[in-house]
Amino acid sequence: MAALAKKLPLSIDPFLLFLIGVVGTASLLPARGSAADAVGLAADLAIALLFFLHGAKLSREAIMRGAGNWRLHVMVLGSTYILFPALGLLIVALTAGWVDPLLLSGLLYLTLLPSTVQSSIAFTAIAGGNVAAAVCSASLSNLLGIFLTPILVGLLMHIGGDGAVSSWHLIRGIALQLLVPFIAGHLLRPLIGGFIDSHKTILQKVDRGSILLVVYSAFSAAVVRGIWTQVGVGDLLVLLLLSAMLLALVMGFNFLIARLAGLPREDAIVLLFCGSKKSLVSGVPMAGALFPAAQVGIVILPLMIFHQLQLFLCAALASRFQRQGERLARAGVIPRSEADITAAGAAVGLPITDACMPGVVANLALLDRHAATLKGGTPS
Amino acid sequence: MRQAIEIAEAVRSGRTSAVEVIEACLAGLAAEGGELVAVTRILADRARHEAQLVDATVAAGGNAGPLAGVPYGVKDLFDVMGLPTTAGSSIYADAPPATADAEAICRLREAGAILVATLNMDEFAYGFATINARHGTTRNPHDVARLAGGSSGGSAAIVAAGLLPFSLGSDTNGSVRVPASLTGLYGLKPTHAALPLDGVFPFAESFDDVGPFTTSAADMRCIWEVLAGTAALDSGDLRIARLGGRFRENADPEQIAAIDAIAPDSALIEVPNIARARSAAFIITAVEGGTLHRAALSRDPMAFDPATRDRLIAGALLPRSLYDQAQRYRLDFKAAILDLIGDHDILLAPAAPCVAPTIDDPRILIDGVLTPARADLGIHTQPISFTGLPSLAVPLHRPGRLPLGLQLVGRPGGEAALFRFAEMLEKRRIIGVSSAAGAYQGEDA
Repeated sequence: MAALAKKLPLSIDPFLLFLIGVVGTASLLPARGSAADAVGLAADLAIALLFFLHGAKLSREAIMRGAGNWRLHVMVLGSTYILFPALGLLIVALTAGWVDPLLLSGLLYLTLLPSTVQSSIAFTAIAGGNVAAAVCSASLSNLLGIFLTPILVGLLMHIGGDGAVSSWHLIRGIALQLLVPFIAGHLLRPLIGGFIDSHKTILQKVDRGSILLVVYSAFSAAVVRGIWTQVGVGDLLVLLLLSAMLLALVMGFNFLIARLAGLPREDAIVLLFCGSKKSLVSGVPMAGALFPAAQVGIVILPLMIFHQLQLFLCAALASRFQRQGERLARAGVIPRSEADITAAGAAVGLPITDACMPGVVANLALLDRHAATLKGGTPS
Repeated sequence: MRQAIEIAEAVRSGRTSAVEVIEACLAGLAAEGGELVAVTRILADRARHEAQLVDATVAAGGNAGPLAGVPYGVKDLFDVMGLPTTAGSSIYADAPPATADAEAICRLREAGAILVATLNMDEFAYGFATINARHGTTRNPHDVARLAGGSSGGSAAIVAAGLLPFSLGSDTNGSVRVPASLTGLYGLKPTHAALPLDGVFPFAESFDDVGPFTTSAADMRCIWEVLAGTAALDSGDLRIARLGGRFRENADPEQIAAIDAIAPDSALIEVPNIARARSAAFIITAVEGGTLHRAALSRDPMAFDPATRDRLIAGALLPRSLYDQAQRYRLDFKAAILDLIGDHDILLAPAAPCVAPTIDDPRILIDGVLTPARADLGIHTQPISFTGLPSLAVPLHRPGRLPLGLQLVGRPGGEAALFRFAEMLEKRRIIGVSSAAGAYQGEDA
């Protein structure tokens, strides 16, 4: 996991640089006319390929291995599919009239997406959380997202005007581009699963190449329709601010829930990371399948901003958790001072009240003597 | 109270009825049980119903079982159908009722035994004293000013007082053997996990076991056979050894004298690192207990018995690496012990290190320093639990004096040898139960 830690530092995600490059290219050299049709068709095929690969990568065994911790998974799914959409609707309601409605549609759309798999698991591992539960939660979130996200889009995004989603387009998009390839990929997993699992690096390039193609196609169409006359720097700053608010609210709420539910430290980390993420990898192709081509570019803009923001914040938090975990585990040190005891209690979701503190201090002193005896010190 | 096998024989032969036995038992509990603070719930209706079923079986000429009509009680952590399993805590007083009996209770019922009461314990089995914030402190029938030991103190006191012929407790680090030693009974910790634990509220799963309290070796053999579902068979010479080193420190001189008298020429096995083993057991217990109750502690810590609460919280804060180290040491220690035992069948050691401490000053002398009895009465039992070996606490025969106990430690699965050796010592009148009735009150031994 150390390699993953290095891949997720507090810096710009290299893939985001590629995305910005593609958006720039589409802005300067948009595909037009028959070229646009060809790129559009290639993008449609790329979306189907992406979901075929998603289906083939999904391991039911991984879900089952971590499925025992159902209370945690309910919390993660609740955060992804209830808390996020509720906050999305609230932000849209509060800012309607102030912000471009299509950008707000994009913001609402990102709140309806499943959690990321790869970075949720990587951050959980770095932070010393429950990786098996993270794998299960994130995979489950993605599996449900195939069904739930289109349904939520259908239910919550009939907002009229440019943001409207035609129900025929929705159904056809879901069926042809998401569900069929996803199910086909998953059914073929017994045959191709081994290849998929052992060629993750190559497939990641296919994944990312497909996304870049979808983004190019989407932004080409958007540029032709004049996206950059519609969206200015001010809009992007507003989006950044709204995304930061959204992320802070979700993380704060999840932190509170973890404390109230008495989740152990390892599980609280899973809730914090899996419950606060939104998947760019799922969101971009889904948007391609769900929205009219001309709208896709602007709809995924908030997602791209949110994606980078979540990576920044989660990388910082994961490093902090990692340092805290190392402090706790260092040479099996038993907390003895009231400050250390309070910190150790907070790390495992166990608040130490004033009434308990003297007894806990005395018992930890006794256990410290036993620890010394165990390590070959003086007998107790 | 007669022995369990005598009662069963009388019921099976029709000399008495199960209903008569149960009515006499319920009357005894009502009249004399209160002072001991040993009983938490009396199950009169259930007991009367089961007694009628046993009598009906006898009347129909059927086999009423090896424990036909024998009343008994269980520590408050066994599932009893229709009742909440409290584990001695007010936190679970209003928990949903158990939907089935614990497996051990089912097996005893099939053998004809009749459950009449649930019995007091240290909250969540964490302690050697049965000082319970909800129900009170269980008294020792040999001197009501003294502790009965714990954590299965209610189960021990009620049998020692002659109000029940046997009972069930649980033993994680000595919670059967310590109270058996302090109240003068036979108490068994079986080979780890050899007796059914289904439906028993856990404490520290690395060490948890259930075990009976009885007034004779023959009763212990019979009840073990019922619970294990197999006959306790062994034969041949028994090879005896004495455990030396730390086991001969912090013990009553009479315990050491009795051990030396039982097997004067036997090998004295020096077990190294006993203190380390006990410390590792302490740490594993603390971590597993703390982890088990962590969610409840974070929700409502003040609902716990304060003494238990602070111990559990401390356990929950221990670093995982320390727990892993203790578990690794456990494996090494177990292998070393099995190597040391060699071909011996029985190892002799003290049970509790002294007679029962007083309730007013619940401290005992360990290495010349007064320490809490609640934590240290298991100094000789905890290292044995650590290995998973079976251990039978037996009472030294000393009528009119406060009880002292020994441990007969066996090989894995070697319970039958323990029972046979205990029966031999009983015949030699070295061990045996002394009546608590008329025992002197408050005088030190």
